[in-house]
Amino acid sequence: MRYGMVIDLKRCVGCQACTVACKSENGNGPGIMYTKVLDQVSGEYPNVRKNFVPVLCNHCKNAPCQRVCPTGATYKREDGLVLVDHDKCMGCRACYVACPYNNRIYLKRGKIKVGYYGKEMTPYEEVKYAEHQDGIVEKCKFCSHRIDEGLTETSCVQTCPADARIFGDLDDSESKVSRLIRSRGGRQPLCEDDTDPSIYYLD
Amino acid sequence: MGISIPLVEKEFVAGFRQQKEWAGLIASAFFFGKVGSGLFIMSVFLPSRLGMLVGLLIVLVGKGGAHFLYLGRPWRFWRGMARPQSSWIARGIWAMGLMMVAGFAALSLPVGSSLYMPLTIFAVICAFVVAVYDGFLLTSSPAIPIWNTALMPVMCMFYSFLGGTTMVLFMTHMGFMELSEKFTAILPNLELGLLVANLLIVILFLIGSINTGSAGRESFDLLVKGPYAVPFFSLAIGVGLVFTLLMSIYAGPHASAGTVALITVADLIGHYFIFFLLLKVGVFKPVLGFLKI
Ligand code: SF4
Ligand code: SF4
Repeated sequence: MRYGMVIDLKRCVGCQACTVACKSENGNGPGIMYTKVLDQVSGEYPNVRKNFVPVLCNHCKNAPCQRVCPTGATYKREDGLVLVDHDKCMGCRACYVACPYNNRIYLKRGKIKVGYYGKEMTPYEEVKYAEHQDGIVEKCKFCSHRIDEGLTETSCVQTCPADARIFGDLDDSESKVSRLIRSRGGRQPLCEDDTDPSIYYLD
Repeated sequence: MGISIPLVEKEFVAGFRQQKEWAGLIASAFFFGKVGSGLFIMSVFLPSRLGMLVGLLIVLVGKGGAHFLYLGRPWRFWRGMARPQSSWIARGIWAMGLMMVAGFAALSLPVGSSLYMPLTIFAVICAFVVAVYDGFLLTSSPAIPIWNTALMPVMCMFYSFLGGTTMVLFMTHMGFMELSEKFTAILPNLELGLLVANLLIVILFLIGSINTGSAGRESFDLLVKGPYAVPFFSLAIGVGLVFTLLMSIYAGPHASAGTVALITVADLIGHYFIFFLLLKVGVFKPVLGFLKI
């Protein structure tokens, strides 16, 4: 079993619904995004094109963030998820500089004490921010809490209106993700870094 | 359709990105680690117990303090020893801890005692690891190509030896250390040799970084043409290496205490800034730079 995701760049419309769904699912405060959609502009005026590139932790099979972590806070599960144990992280940010995808977020001390409306938090923020710690590093968890509850999709996948994100088991050759990678030639980002990401892009 | 990839600041735009997390305090920790361990190693060979003590204190207070201030959760620092099998930070913490234990234990013993030598040798080995591990730490990060070069640990080693030699010369001229005649003759020449070696290594490093791919090239441009060029050429190279080299040649082995103090300050400024700037110009590759979309 190895969870992974396929992202169809032809389908992505850049609406950032996944960004918002992820923030709401995980109760992430201002400036904390486990996933987001980047704009990439190509060409020269007047032939300019804007493309959208959703990014998130790739849950790499050969994860440099895990290798460099001195505390063991970053660890790998049997199902391929790379997670951070918040209670073990000491905030050294070695993983931040080791992740080739720049997908780790450091929560500055005091960062989770401020909500979207300042220091006075909404009831939602009060509940959700309590699940975080400041002074540590966080990242996308592939919605491990949802997987553990038996759900089959991450929050971003469930929300995407264009069906640009597909989640599934990369080890199962008949899963939708495996079939898409085979038929459309899925490509892993920065594969030259030998990280073997679990995210494949279709272009 | 061609893609020209920019160096970006904005959150939602694809492109090269500068790393923002490792800067001043990490550079300070690297600096104190190298100067302190270099001084400790040099002092063992001279020998000077005061030099050994000062070296240990620089590593403990300077390096340890900077790391402690930097950590998001400083009181969990002890957890950083958990994974020496794969993490250079864990190896560095072990080396630093063992250097302290063995170094202070050796200093508490009289020179002739049976444990003095084994403890001192062990402390020197640990000090050597403290001096070079940041180089391996930076090299082991595949994310930032300008750091990802085999010259990094070599550069750390030479800067550590240079820092140690400079500190020994400074302490000698200030009257805190006494050197034998042999070392009094050797040390100024060693300093000169190390300054030339460091200058060559920095030049080789710069030449090598041009060929570390597009992100490495971005870093190189930031360092030699971009916003960091002025501090790089003036402080890291000008003050830290060229000025110290010229002053050392001009003053010769019988330099006055004031001249040696000036050389020491210049050398330490250059030492701090070269690693600070190399951290600052660390650039990540664009995630999907390869896609022809
Ligand atoms: S994308 Fe980055 S944070 Fe995620 S597993 Fe890979 S190296 Fe680690
Ligand atoms: S910041 Fe936390 S998760 Fe990252 S390397 Fe350090 S201890 Fe590990």
